[in-house]
Amino acid sequence: MAKKSKQAYKQAPWRRQIQSVGMSLLPIIALVVVVSIYLIISAQSASAGLEIMDMHYEEEEVLRIIANQRTELAWKTSYTEMVKRAEKAGYESAPSESVHFMAIPGYTGQNPVLLAPPPGSENTLGPLVNEYYQQSLWDWVYNTFLTSAQTSEAAQ
Amino acid sequence: MKKGTFSRLTLLGIVLTSSSALIILQMLHIQNSTKHQELSQWADEEYSYAIENYTPERGNIYDRWGRLLAGNEDVYEAGVMLEYVTNPDTIAQTMEGVNGLTYDQIYNVVSRKYDEKNSIYAVITDFLPSGVIDVLSDVKQTYETENPYGKDPKKPSLRGLIWSSHLKRTYPENSLASNILGFYSFRDRQQGLGYYGVEEYYNDLLAGNPMETFMPRNPYMLESLPEVPAGASLVLTIDREIQAMVEKKLDDAIKEDEAVSGTVIVLDPRSGEILAMATQPRINLNQYWKYEDEFKDKVPFNRAISETYEPGSVFKVLTMSAAYDAGVVDDETTYYDSGRYEKYGGTILNWDRKGHGEQTMQGCMQKSLNVCLAWVADEKLGAEKFYDYMDAFGVGRRTSVDLGGEETWPLSVPDDADWYPIQLLTNAFGQGVAVTPIQLATAISAVANDGKMMKPHVLKAIIQDGKQYNTTPQVLSVPIKAETARTVTAMLVKSLENESSAALVPGYSIAGKTGTAEIPVEGEYSTDLTNASFAGWGPADDPQFLVYVWLEKPQKSPWGSVVAAPLFSDIVKELVVYLDIPPEDAQQNLVAKEG
Repeated sequence: MAKKSKQAYKQAPWRRQIQSVGMSLLPIIALVVVVSIYLIISAQSASAGLEIMDMHYEEEEVLRIIANQRTELAWKTSYTEMVKRAEKAGYESAPSESVHFMAIPGYTGQNPVLLAPPPGSENTLGPLVNEYYQQSLWDWVYNTFLTSAQTSEAAQ
Repeated sequence: MKKGTFSRLTLLGIVLTSSSALIILQMLHIQNSTKHQELSQWADEEYSYAIENYTPERGNIYDRWGRLLAGNEDVYEAGVMLEYVTNPDTIAQTMEGVNGLTYDQIYNVVSRKYDEKNSIYAVITDFLPSGVIDVLSDVKQTYETENPYGKDPKKPSLRGLIWSSHLKRTYPENSLASNILGFYSFRDRQQGLGYYGVEEYYNDLLAGNPMETFMPRNPYMLESLPEVPAGASLVLTIDREIQAMVEKKLDDAIKEDEAVSGTVIVLDPRSGEILAMATQPRINLNQYWKYEDEFKDKVPFNRAISETYEPGSVFKVLTMSAAYDAGVVDDETTYYDSGRYEKYGGTILNWDRKGHGEQTMQGCMQKSLNVCLAWVADEKLGAEKFYDYMDAFGVGRRTSVDLGGEETWPLSVPDDADWYPIQLLTNAFGQGVAVTPIQLATAISAVANDGKMMKPHVLKAIIQDGKQYNTTPQVLSVPIKAETARTVTAMLVKSLENESSAALVPGYSIAGKTGTAEIPVEGEYSTDLTNASFAGWGPADDPQFLVYVWLEKPQKSPWGSVVAAPLFSDIVKELVVYLDIPPEDAQQNLVAKEG
C-alpha cells in the first residue's frame, strides 16, 4: 500500500505540492474558522446588547404609559365624575335618616387597601418558561441518562 | 512546463504570503501607533457612554381605599432641531394657539440660527397633551409626503419639529384635599419641589433618587444598565368620600354663616388617623401657580395646621380633665357662681355676663361658665399643675403631624417674662392661649381615647420597591387617666343632652363642647368678632371619630352653639354612615340577632 503511494507521488509530483499547500493552508483555515465563530458570537452579542438597549427604552415608555393610564382612570373615576355619573344614572344620595343597618353574616366591613404585597412575602411565581426549553444539551444528557443511570444503580 | 507551473505557484504563494504579512504588519502598526491610542481614547470618551439624567417617576398618593389623589401623566415637550428646519413659517402657523402661543412667539424660536456649539435645539412649548401631538404627527406626515425632506421651500413642511414625552404631576381630584396634599412644582422640570402638605413633608420619599448615569452606547458594555427605582408611593389615612362630604358641608356653612373661613378635622382618636381635614381657601392643584391669587395677605395654605388662634371654651375640656385627673374636683364639688371672679388685678366674667348660683362641675361645663373654670384653675389646680397638664396635652408644641407647614404658638408659663398671673384665669377658658386646630383636636382626642393622646398622622402606608409597609400608630403622651377620660366624656354627653344642643345626632351618644372665643382687635377683645368652634366625639362608649369644627368670624351669629354645633351634627350624621356605625338601638338589635 505504501509502495503504491510512493509510486503515485513519483508519477505525479504535483500531488506533493498540493499536499504542502494544503498543509500550509490548514492553519489559515483553522484561523478563519475561529475568526468566523468569534465574529458570529460578537455579532450576536452586539445584537443582543442593542436589543437590551431597545428594551430598556421600551420599558421606560411602558412605565410612562402605565402611569398615564392609571392617572387617566383616576380622572374618570374622580369624585366629581362619579357624582355626575351617579346623578345621570338617576341615583340620589340617601339622607342619613333613611339609612338602615342590617347584619350580614360573615361580612366584616371593607378590608384595608393592599396595593402591594407586605414585606416578608416572597415572590412565589415560578419561571415563565418551562425548564425543558432552558437546559443545555449537556443538562439534557446529564438529566436524562446519567441521573437515571445513577438512580437505577442506587435502586439495585 | 513543469518548471513554469512551479514558478507560478511559487510566485502566487509569495504574493499571497507577502500580502498577508503586510496586512498583519499594518494591523500591528495601527494597533500600536500613538495615533491609534489617541483616537481610541477620543472614541471612548465621545461615543462609548452618554451621560443621561434619570428622574424617577414621582410616587403616587392614594387615599385610604387606594383611590389616586396624585399621579403622573404623559405630556410632551415640543421643539425644533434648528439644523433641519426648512420652513419656520409652517411650524409657526401650525402651532399657533397651542398653549396660548402666538405666531410671532413661535416664529422667533424656530427661526433662530443653527450653531453647532450653542444653538442646536430650541424648545417651543411644554406639557402638551397626547391629543395635540397626534394631530401634529398627522400633519407632519402629510407635509412630508407632499414635500419630502422639505426640499421645496415654497411648500409647507414641519421638518425639524420634534417632540419628546415626559411625566407631569397630576391631581385627578383637582382641589379636593388640596390643603392636605400640597403641590409639586412640576413646571420647573429641573428643580421641582413639593410644597406644603404631603408633597412637602414626604418630598424625599416621593421623589426617589434622581441620578446622573453613564449610559453605555457600546452594546458590549450593557451589563451595567442603570436601575432607577421609582419614588415611593403613599397611602394616606384620608377617605376621599368623607373629605368631599366635609369640604362641601364646610363650604355651605361658611357661606350661610357668612364666616371669613372655616376648618374641620375628622380623626380617629384611637389611632390618630386623620380621615378628613378641610379648610378654605383651596386651590386646583393642577394650576398651583395661581396659588398667590388665593392665598393673599399671609393666609396659610392649611389653616388646620398653620393658623394659631384663641380657641375659647372648647379649651375648658382640657382644664376640667386636668382638674378631675389631679383629683382636685369630683362630681360632688360645687361652686357658687356670682358671675364675677376678681383676682390678679383683673375681673373674669361669664359669656352672658350673669351669675348662675351654685353649680356642680357638670353645671359649670354645661353652662360653659368662665368664672367657674377660672376658679378651678386658680384655686383648685394652681398654676404649676395647670401648666404641667397643658404641657402634657401638648399645648404650645407642634403635634408633629406629617404635613408640611405646621405652626405653633408658645404657651407662656410662670417664670416666663411674658406671663402674668391673670393669664392662668383666662387660659382656663381658652383665652390668652393660642393653638392650631390640629393641636386642640389632638389634645381633646386624649379624652376620647381613654387618656391616650395619639400622634395625628395622614400616612397609612408606604409602597416602596414593590412592598407595602404599613405605619404603626404612635402614642404622643398619656396626659390623663382612662377613668378621668371616661368621666369627662360622660359629663359632656350629659351636658349636650341637657341643653338639647344642636350638635346632637339622633340615635348616637355624642360628647362635645362648644367654644366662642373673642378675637383681640387693636389690643381689646371684640364681642362681635369671634372664633366659633365645636369639638365632639362619639359614640361616647366607644369613640371612633372626633370632629373638630372652627368657623372664623361668623356674621350670622357669633356663638359656637349656633353656627359650629349644627355643622358638627350635619357632618356626623353622614360620617356615621361612611364609617358603618349603626345607631345605638340598631346596634342592640344587630347584637340581639347575632346572639
